[in-house]
Amino acid sequence: MMSIAARRSAIGTCLQFTKPTVNASVFSRLVKDFVPAASANGKVPHLISRVNHIIRPVRDPLLSSQFYFRSEFTGATGIRLAHTDIKVPDFSDYRRPEVQDPNKSSQDSSEARKVFSYLVTGATTVVTVYAAKTVVSQFVSSMSASADVLALSKIEVKLADIPEGRNMTFKWRGKPLFVRHRTEKEIATEEGVNLGELRDPQHDKDRVQNPKWVIVLGVCTHLGCVPIANAGDYGGYYCPCHGSHYDASGRIRKGPAPLNLEVPFYEFVDEDTVVVG
Amino acid sequence: MVVPPSSVSYAQSLAGAPETRLTALDNGLRVASEETGHATCTVGLWIGAGSRYESEKNNGAGFFLEHMAFKGTKKHPQTALEQEVESMGAHLSAYTSREHTAYYMKTLAKDLPKAVELLSEVVQHCSLNEADVEQQRAVVLRELEEVEGNLQEVCLDLLHATAFQGTPLSYSVLGPSSNARTLSRQDLVEYLGSHYKAPRMVLSAAGGVNHEELVGLAKTHFSGLSFEYEGDAIPVLSPCRFTGSEIRMRDDAMPLAHVAIAVEGARVGSPDIVPLMVANSIIGSYDIKSGGGKNMSSRLAAMAAEENFCESFQAFHSSYSDTGLMGMYFVTDMHHIEDMMHWSQNAWSVMNMCTTVTDSDVARGKKSLKASLVAQLNGTTPICDDIGRHVLNYGRRVPLAEWDARINAVTPKMVRDVCSKYIYDKCPAVAAVGPVEQLPDYNRTRASMYWLRF
Repeated sequence: MMSIAARRSAIGTCLQFTKPTVNASVFSRLVKDFVPAASANGKVPHLISRVNHIIRPVRDPLLSSQFYFRSEFTGATGIRLAHTDIKVPDFSDYRRPEVQDPNKSSQDSSEARKVFSYLVTGATTVVTVYAAKTVVSQFVSSMSASADVLALSKIEVKLADIPEGRNMTFKWRGKPLFVRHRTEKEIATEEGVNLGELRDPQHDKDRVQNPKWVIVLGVCTHLGCVPIANAGDYGGYYCPCHGSHYDASGRIRKGPAPLNLEVPFYEFVDEDTVVVG
Repeated sequence: MVVPPSSVSYAQSLAGAPETRLTALDNGLRVASEETGHATCTVGLWIGAGSRYESEKNNGAGFFLEHMAFKGTKKHPQTALEQEVESMGAHLSAYTSREHTAYYMKTLAKDLPKAVELLSEVVQHCSLNEADVEQQRAVVLRELEEVEGNLQEVCLDLLHATAFQGTPLSYSVLGPSSNARTLSRQDLVEYLGSHYKAPRMVLSAAGGVNHEELVGLAKTHFSGLSFEYEGDAIPVLSPCRFTGSEIRMRDDAMPLAHVAIAVEGARVGSPDIVPLMVANSIIGSYDIKSGGGKNMSSRLAAMAAEENFCESFQAFHSSYSDTGLMGMYFVTDMHHIEDMMHWSQNAWSVMNMCTTVTDSDVARGKKSLKASLVAQLNGTTPICDDIGRHVLNYGRRVPLAEWDARINAVTPKMVRDVCSKYIYDKCPAVAAVGPVEQLPDYNRTRASMYWLRF
């Protein structure tokens, strides 16, 4: 509700609307015409215009001798400007150079502008997809084995520490790893074994890279116990759980085990070092 | 009484239509007429001036001038002018558009000389009294108020304002209310002086008129028409840039939403006009008050009727001398705007240019276009208007036979190719008035102008 109080004598100049509208101009003229009539006969009719704009006389209690005209807007004050007053803003700051000039048709450049937009969009899409794929793979691969676990997958053995004829046991991948430094006699024995007598026939040279060193997993192929080195009837290993005898090449000779001791992947990094795994 | 069936076929009647004769006077004024044998005639002046020639400061001058035109001339003050016209039983009217202004009179054929005399006075010697100017100012302001109630006008004006923003084609014919308040007599005189020149005017007549008589009358009354510009400053129309954009005048208190969407169309003399007109005929128009219901031949109309998508829609094509606006206008309630927009774009940008326009659609569209072209020319006034506008646009009257031939030459492939050229993947201009919350965002509308399929 807007209220404007005005003195009767100065009504024409005082009724200033901040937003001159079509309605207002009509209105102010009507008011100018209206005023003399009021003074002439003292009767003050109501003036109601389109937007429920009511002028009614109010007797001000402080200045009882004066009439004031009070103008009120009641109800919805939908003063609408003419639609032709709506100015489309100037978007020159945002326009591409080809369409800055309002006196040039935009059709000529439309193909070029579209191609540019689509190229940029396409390139951005490709880059974004690649980036998204990278991020997702990074998160997913974080669920795989960590570096310290992966590091455990290989073991480096210093062969100089193992005297001849002795077997050393290492923990590797949670299992015992036997590294045996064989004597010449043992090598010759193993190489001469007839394959026909073997439960799991494998020639010695198929089980070792360098005949001096036998590297096998110390897990009995029967039910998984750890065989004892330098024990048993064949100069190799003896599994105490159920009595499996292995020879110096790790092959099963006697007892319940079905297969030879497993030979893992290994490679000799140099004369003195072997990396298993 | 038995009325014998017509023995003249459509083709014969086209060929036998009276020829439009065209003559030019020395000062450049062109005189064109068609003698149709009616007892009445319409004669008028079509002027190549309109809101497009105005500037921001004097936008609305043409419209104001139109109001002043019948307020008296130097020889005939207002009452005398009115009496002359009334005593002939004639109708004197005028209209102003973006590129044309027309003053014309409908009268008996025998009153042609008097009509030309009065018209010549109205156009050349308008009195333009200061008092009249002030009085008409109030009338113009009131008319501005009233036009706000005609939402179709408002919507299409806003469409032009946004589509051609920054150019003279964005101006509304009515002009802003600030100009209506400040335009002076001097502005009107200047406007008259710079645009009402003989080479840009056509004296056009249709009805029971004789061309030679008309030329004689023109020589008598219009020889004095100026053909020189002050300082040789001939106003040249520069091309108007089209901007794909959107304007929304949202008012949830209104009962219906009025939405218009348009792409840049073909200019007046373009060979693409006819295929585009055929395409628009295929889409057609619809009004909920019409009786066709779901049996309407236009697919969009049938769908609109069955699903109650809209109150009305129409496909339109406004051509100007070097550009155009081709689009769809629809009126619907606030819950169906999105559907209607989707299906309109579907019909428009997809049915008519993907491989789905059928031979039967095109045949139907051609027939209905021919029918509407013929039906429009149903009286001396429409014919006179046609002549006036054609001579201004093309330099000659394009006869119905020629339109017919061009329409016959349209094939479905032509419709597809031409529509693809103007519609496919182009930025549209959208204007919406009313409870338009449901209108999709402009980016969505723009994305619906193509399909990701081949």
